[in-house]
Amino acid sequence: MDKLLHLWHNTGLHQMTPGQGVMILIGMLLLYLAINKNFEPLLLVPIGFGGVLANIPGAGLAEYGGILHIFYTVGIESGAFPLIIFMGVGAMTDFGPLLANPKTLFLGAAAQLGIFATLMGAILLSTFGIFDFSLSDAAAIAIIGGADGPTSIYVASKLAPDLLGAIAVASYSYMALVPLIQPPIMRALTTEAERKIKMVQQRHVSQREKVIFPLLLLLLVAFLLPDAAPLLGMFCFGNLMKECAVVDRLSNTTQNSLINTVTIFLGLAVGSKLSADKFLDFTTLGILLLGMVAFSIGTASGVLMAKLLNKFGGGGINPLIGSAGVSAVPMAARVSNKLGLEADPHNFLLMHAMGPNVAGVIGSAVAAGIMINYVNG
Amino acid sequence: MEAPSLLNEGLTLMLFGMGFVFVFLTLLVFATKMMSLLITQYEKSVGVLPEGGVPSPTAVIPRHGPIAPLEHTHQEDKNLVSVLTAAVHEYRSRHK
Repeated sequence: MDKLLHLWHNTGLHQMTPGQGVMILIGMLLLYLAINKNFEPLLLVPIGFGGVLANIPGAGLAEYGGILHIFYTVGIESGAFPLIIFMGVGAMTDFGPLLANPKTLFLGAAAQLGIFATLMGAILLSTFGIFDFSLSDAAAIAIIGGADGPTSIYVASKLAPDLLGAIAVASYSYMALVPLIQPPIMRALTTEAERKIKMVQQRHVSQREKVIFPLLLLLLVAFLLPDAAPLLGMFCFGNLMKECAVVDRLSNTTQNSLINTVTIFLGLAVGSKLSADKFLDFTTLGILLLGMVAFSIGTASGVLMAKLLNKFGGGGINPLIGSAGVSAVPMAARVSNKLGLEADPHNFLLMHAMGPNVAGVIGSAVAAGIMINYVNG
Repeated sequence: MEAPSLLNEGLTLMLFGMGFVFVFLTLLVFATKMMSLLITQYEKSVGVLPEGGVPSPTAVIPRHGPIAPLEHTHQEDKNLVSVLTAAVHEYRSRHK
């Protein structure tokens, strides 16, 4: 009888707390969204599964010594995984559209207003005593507005490791929700005539320019903002490998097998942060809410900046591409393209929107560098 | 006095941050334009780099016939190879 009782005490059913039950359901929900609704499946499958694993009662996979905890310590706490992913993203990025029209960098800058406005929002909420965010918490939450998963995780791991789970889930879910969140904002801020603006064919960008650009960006980062150097440095490195065309083997590995391998472990490690005691919290709700606000403001300010550029910069810019200034490559650019086609079936904006899109990646990495610099300094 | 100072810090970070992002990207715009200008000038005199990098020779071209026309064909082949490489690269990068 004693043995039977002992066995019973060791079952999951006996040890399960209500919180863990809810978290397992949330993990399953993420898996459902990924598999059935195709929401960022590459990330939500590992994150959701990691979330389920982390909440198995008694197994302690996410506690000290557990395998998920090891993944977390090795990859995220050290900052390595997001940086390796950033290298892969660099190797997949084509700066051509940006080089053809450097003005679009301003759109990428404007969309970062979402980040800083949310920072203020988070701080206001804690001033009114609704939430209790410190400056570093607020900064880490605000980066969700950059719509850039690896950047968010990197900043969160540096500034607010406790909130990492919620921040990562928020930032990847919103990236998946780009096609739902952005269009109403874009429609509200533009007129039919503006959406119909056709953009001129981009000039041809020579290979030399593409090779030199990552080096130029790197030098600028090195001189002005060394705190952004880990992120942008890896990004530039990946891009240089792709463009220089003499290390195709390395570049292929970086943009395929390496980034895939790291994504698996990154997802599981993020999932390990979905433990009941950290995630089932009022602040998670606040983070999800603020993330949404950040995203919307970023989209709006990108569109408005495009309209401004149109007024003072000689015109020829369709404001729809402004929304692509929040990174979310290439989803945001596709949304711009789709809305452009809606207004005029011959208006192809995809290549034009890729410019602000990659500018957004640079912009949010710069913003991340500033946050880390300011909060740690 | 905790709250007002936090508010202050947030405001400073927001203004400072947004300002810096704009300054940085503005500098990048100018640097990029300069770079493009210089390279376009430079390439006018030396010609463009083939898109897929400089192709390495994959086969030895057999030598027969008189020397002079052969040099000519060799040169033409090289051009053809680099044009083809560029086209293939372009095609691949468009159809990813």
